[in-house]
Amino acid sequence: MINSLGNLFLYLPILFTFFFYLRSSKLNESQTILAARVIYICSLIPFLLLLIAFATSNFQTLNVLQNSYINDPFIFKVTSAWGSHEGSILLWVFLINLYGLTFSFFHKKNLLNKQLIFISQIFIIYILISSNPFIEVNMDGNTEGLGLNPILQNLLFVIHPPILFLGYLGLIIPFVISSFILTTKQHDEPLFQQMLIWSKISWFFLTVGIVLGSYWAYSELGWGGWWFWDPVENVSLIPWLLNTALVHSLQVSIKNNQLKLWSLNLALYGFIAAVFGTFLVRSNLIVSVHSFATDPLRGLFLIIIIGYLLITTIRMNLKSISLFNKDTFQFISKESFLLINNIFFICAALTVFIGTVYPLFSEMIFQTAVSVGAPYYNFTFNILLAPIIILMAFAPQIKWHNHHSQNQIKLLIIFLTGFVASLISYFIFYNLFFSISVFITAPLFMQSVVVLFAKFKKDFRFYAQWLAHLSIGIFIIAAVSTEQFDTEENLLFKKDSNNELPLNSGGYAYIENIQNIEKLNHVQILLDMKIVEENKTYSLSPSKNIYQPSGQITNEVSVVNNFFSQYYATISQIESDLVSINLVYKPFINLLWMSALMLILGIFGSIIRKI
Amino acid sequence: MDECINAYFRNIWIYYQKNMKKTILVPLLGFVILVICIFYYLNPPTEKKSYQKKIADEIFNTQTFFKTKTIDEKELGEFYIVNFFASWCKPCLAEHPLLMAMKDQGIKIIGINFRDDEENFLSWITENGNPFEYVIRDDGTIAYKMGLIGVPETYFISNNEIINKIQGPLFYEDVEKYL
Amino acid sequence: MKMLKSIYKKIFIIISLLFISSALAENSELTDFYKSIRCLVCDGQNILDSDTEFSVNLKEQIKKKFDSGLSLQEINNELISIYGEEISFKPSDSHFLLWASPFLLLLLIFFLIRKKYF
Repeated sequence: MINSLGNLFLYLPILFTFFFYLRSSKLNESQTILAARVIYICSLIPFLLLLIAFATSNFQTLNVLQNSYINDPFIFKVTSAWGSHEGSILLWVFLINLYGLTFSFFHKKNLLNKQLIFISQIFIIYILISSNPFIEVNMDGNTEGLGLNPILQNLLFVIHPPILFLGYLGLIIPFVISSFILTTKQHDEPLFQQMLIWSKISWFFLTVGIVLGSYWAYSELGWGGWWFWDPVENVSLIPWLLNTALVHSLQVSIKNNQLKLWSLNLALYGFIAAVFGTFLVRSNLIVSVHSFATDPLRGLFLIIIIGYLLITTIRMNLKSISLFNKDTFQFISKESFLLINNIFFICAALTVFIGTVYPLFSEMIFQTAVSVGAPYYNFTFNILLAPIIILMAFAPQIKWHNHHSQNQIKLLIIFLTGFVASLISYFIFYNLFFSISVFITAPLFMQSVVVLFAKFKKDFRFYAQWLAHLSIGIFIIAAVSTEQFDTEENLLFKKDSNNELPLNSGGYAYIENIQNIEKLNHVQILLDMKIVEENKTYSLSPSKNIYQPSGQITNEVSVVNNFFSQYYATISQIESDLVSINLVYKPFINLLWMSALMLILGIFGSIIRKI
Repeated sequence: MDECINAYFRNIWIYYQKNMKKTILVPLLGFVILVICIFYYLNPPTEKKSYQKKIADEIFNTQTFFKTKTIDEKELGEFYIVNFFASWCKPCLAEHPLLMAMKDQGIKIIGINFRDDEENFLSWITENGNPFEYVIRDDGTIAYKMGLIGVPETYFISNNEIINKIQGPLFYEDVEKYL
Repeated sequence: MKMLKSIYKKIFIIISLLFISSALAENSELTDFYKSIRCLVCDGQNILDSDTEFSVNLKEQIKKKFDSGLSLQEINNELISIYGEEISFKPSDSHFLLWASPFLLLLLIFFLIRKKYF
């Protein structure tokens, strides 16, 4: 029953859309809005139906059978709805229509809604052709379901896709506004203001989504890494970079009517990047940790929709390029700094794109498989962004139009202090990369302090921006520290021998207890370990979980904090007579997560602006 | 100079706009790109070439396990098989009957026991039978030299050159042409 | 105008310095080398992070060779000749386009807009 209803509400909106386009010219504005909202609401229903199917463990729906287990905890039953490719595309459709519906309350213009509906319906057609979750399956009640992949059974991971999708799909609104501006050639300020608000919303969700994904990988995957330059991660980074550039560029477009073409194109390509990224990793083309089951048809669809979006973008640009290309700033000014900002962010986004797609390219053209990983990105991406970090220290204080006051001495002092600080850090830590990062972020830290004491009007927006920029500096220091200064050791505990093992840091570790605990859908082998260091005792409890019905075994990480640093432990081997633990000491890692929180707060602050 | 170039492009653009026939250019270009992409999609690049053509020398320099001597290349004949296995590897057990069948057909198989515990290896052989003409116990060095991805992995050698490599358990279709 | 150009010059110098120091600061530690070698039976992990027999074996073999005196570059070349280019996360210099493209793109964009803005 649910399957038929689900399918009905997938076909219905397409039908409505078809009629809507046929008659759109004959409808007045309120009729258009009504029709649009009907289409949006119909498109919301299939996903809700899928949620109900999962919540009731309706194993007659193929997708539920494949991804749910009768004894899974309820919360994971419901969230399994987006644990598979089909379910997540349905979530995608749900969210795009939710945005459309919300958007229809702010903008009643026909053209905007028409384009949004068109794009969202293409995805429904995609579902109907190749990813329909509502397939009827008859097991005569003889099944308990195949279970959700245990790696996905984690609250953090469960909210990560919806939030990330909210970020990706939020970019559709800047896309349609931008198309509207380019095609109707109306570029009044209110439109750009609206674009800015929606861009900030998508920016917020993208940032939260990426941080969540990164933190989940850190706490679940047992390798202690938080960014792997994995294709799926890269693919979320590219829209984020374009979105950041967009938000900054729009400030200029709103204030001074400059950089308009840049802003419009960033909005267009931002959405294209989001769609491209999401579908690239579901096609047959890229392999990653996050691989979904693949089907060649999906890659074909990707090409079609990207083709449509790209061709539209290019055509719009070609038609209107002369009208918007009227930038007039020249001197050192906030406009020129933000122009440089745009250029570098676009290059960074392109770099990540090239790195992600190059293995595919190389395979096709040179017939050799290559792997593009951290060494490549550390060289290109990090270096590209370094000048921006330095400029970021000064840009917020630069005046619009023309920044006359050139205090060269002040600049010199700042750079000299930074250089001295990085020299000192070199003699303390003997690490070149760390010293370079100190040099790059020193101006930012110094300016942040100076600006707090400076006398000028500081409103809520100022503090939000201050917080966000500062967080980037802290982030870089933390990221480089954890990359360079992590120490790892393997502790082998043997039965019947001295159970206090010495640690590299000088303390010692011992195992207090090993328990087998039966949980709802898995058995947990829990290890209680203690670390004693300089009179302080830390408790760690890593475990191995064996899941039903698949028999899959996962490694659960345990962490304990020591101010900004962390001890990070996983079980690497457990036999009847020995236990082997992998212990990592990660200095300053908590600064990393703290800076991520600061960034999110800053972005949030810039959206609400007043309390 | 730059003004000339800009003017040149501007003129091309005006010409383009004035000739309605040329408005098919952009969609046509899009179509061509689409066709190229579909072509690449339906004809993905072929299997990458194998990088090793020669068998690792260590195989002929290491003492074999049961026969306590090194393998003499001439004794092997023109065609033989090198199979990497381990007692801890489940797919190796799955392909084991096929290996026994090949031994019965007279095919010489060199078994390389990859990173295994001696006791477990011996009981695996005793319980399941020994399809190998020679067995070499490897700590991973030979596997490394041969570019092993994982056990089980089988190399087909003819005239001292590797003519085929199968990663994963063997199936009948893989070996029928050699039987 | 002049001031803007001086800023661009400074940026160019910074980038060049970073590029040079980054190239020079090649980390010679073994564990960092492991991070650049790909585990071919995993989904994109490096052999340091992976527990598979493939990765553990490779780590042992590499360590043996390193201890016997081979340089990391020589070990890297040997790995590539056995397993192919995809074993290394650092594409070889023959993939010049890949390595140069970010900077070429940067120069290209600056070149394209120079008439308008500078």
